Amino acid sequence: MLAVGALLTATVALAQDPDLARRQAEAAAEIAARAEEETVLAEGEGRSETFAYCTACHNTALIRRSAFTRDRWDDLMDWMVEKHGMNPIDGEFRTTIVDYLAQHYGPRARGPRGGNPFLD
Amino acid sequence: MPGYKRTERSVAELYRDDPERADALVWGRRDTLKGAGLAAMGVALGSAIPFARHLPSGMLPAALAQGTAPQFLQMEGKARLILQGERPLNAETPEALLDDDVTPADKFFIRNNGSVPEPAGDPRAWKITVDGEVNTPLELTLGDLEARFPLVTARLQMECGGNGRAGFSPQAAGNQWGNGAISNAEWTGVRLRDVLRAAGLKEGAKFTGHHGADTHLSAQGPAISRGMRIDKAMEEDTLIAIRMNGQPIPQMHGAPARLLVPGWPGSLSQKWFTRIELKATPHTGRGMGGTSYRMPVRPIVPGSRNNGADFADMESMPVRSVLTSHAHGARLPAGTRALDIRGQAWAGDLSVRAVDVSVDFGQSWQAMAVAAPPNRHAWQRWSGRVAFPSDGYFEIWYRATDSNGRMQPHAAANWNPQGYGANPISRAAVLVG
Ligand code: HEC
Repeated sequence: MLAVGALLTATVALAQDPDLARRQAEAAAEIAARAEEETVLAEGEGRSETFAYCTACHNTALIRRSAFTRDRWDDLMDWMVEKHGMNPIDGEFRTTIVDYLAQHYGPRARGPRGGNPFLD
Repeated sequence: MPGYKRTERSVAELYRDDPERADALVWGRRDTLKGAGLAAMGVALGSAIPFARHLPSGMLPAALAQGTAPQFLQMEGKARLILQGERPLNAETPEALLDDDVTPADKFFIRNNGSVPEPAGDPRAWKITVDGEVNTPLELTLGDLEARFPLVTARLQMECGGNGRAGFSPQAAGNQWGNGAISNAEWTGVRLRDVLRAAGLKEGAKFTGHHGADTHLSAQGPAISRGMRIDKAMEEDTLIAIRMNGQPIPQMHGAPARLLVPGWPGSLSQKWFTRIELKATPHTGRGMGGTSYRMPVRPIVPGSRNNGADFADMESMPVRSVLTSHAHGARLPAGTRALDIRGQAWAGDLSVRAVDVSVDFGQSWQAMAVAAPPNRHAWQRWSGRVAFPSDGYFEIWYRATDSNGRMQPHAAANWNPQGYGANPISRAAVLVG
């Protein structure tokens, strides 16, 4: 009972703290600004290019959690340009990055029968 | 026991990568799980699997089906949420933290499309503009809003459009949410329709376009700007919210004012809300068109390429349920034969008619009690008791049915590149003994 009471008081106190908004905004900015090392990405040819080009807007968490085919990585390059204002990348540079992504962040799960018969 | 641990992890990885091959390699079988293979799996899990004969081939027990260990958010005023990404900052509420009927601020999931803005110096001076297809464009401070329009309070579910995305196979693009990008806070605000009527809708006002103060990750332009059909804007429960759970809205959740468009993709509930446009044609802001918040009308091959040109905008969210009384991976005392369980269920603009639970891999289902929502668009409490025939490994499968009779499906349906609308039956592993 006592514990519940203390918890409630703490919650209300937090919510009424006029400075909490500022501190949360600062905390969010701090989390977003956390530096990453290139080595968080899988080792391989094209890693430096990918790290340099792809962390201008977001961190590598978005890449590391992804598991796409080469086609879908390639599509994503256009999507990032069309929807999110990324500078278009073409030619050899694009090949390097898309090859790197497809090789190291390729599909993980396969369909229930070991693949989709309409894709292979 | 390091050897044992290594085996367990590699089994999980194998199953994640290629379940059928894993069945063949790990358990030395090509068809269904049985006999020695099963005993081996039981050893890996540290217990017997009582309903093993009903475990379909290629289906990994929920306890093994986790990916890499999740990371957690550490922020003052926020609970231990699952960190989905740092930039943009996104965090999911674990299901077991969704037990409150009214979601407290600390357990509210975080979805940001861009950067969190600086807090407003004087919230009451915050301005909201109404323009476009209206007779009298308005510019209202929050003070004006409160003075001119009636305040209403309701419990409203608000869910990310991508909630459940992790259920898709192959993987879809975006935050890999489980079921935890959902909230049901008590919101206070003015009805959007009262404000729109005060501005006077012109004949041509068929769609809305929403704007907020957060900036894109590239620092160029707005983070996101979505819109909807006018009908949803004129609904009773669509609010310009100024308080959450009786308190000023926290900075993380859109202070000092946000839209609240319950039951539809959360991206419509514009945070740090500054402006609404009325339009004759669908809005074209960032997050509209293509594959964004849109789903196939004619189902496409999972994993295939598609530009979304003939997809349709996602509107009411699909039926879904969470189990809140027991976390996935809970251990129960040996000899536990009955377990009281509970959770929440909701269905976009609809309500939930039934929740059914199975502890034998779907072989039999049992109806739970489902409470009526306190108001429309609030989630509903479900509860009941399940029985275990023995000690061992069990999975609690839970499935809600909406008021139109549609159930959560066995597997995520209607695959789409950005992963909207996945609401498969959920599975929580528990170990008795
Ligand atoms: C100009 C800014 C910018 C650059 C540069 C950029 N991205 Fe993105 N990217 C975004 C934004 C914005 C999102 C959406 C984030 C969100 O909504 O959470 C995104 C999302 C993603 C996603 C997740 C897909 C999804 O639907 O959420 C992946 C994967 C990704 N980016 C990979 C990359 C890679 C690889 C590169 C380098 C070639 C890259 N990005 C460069 C802005 C950018």
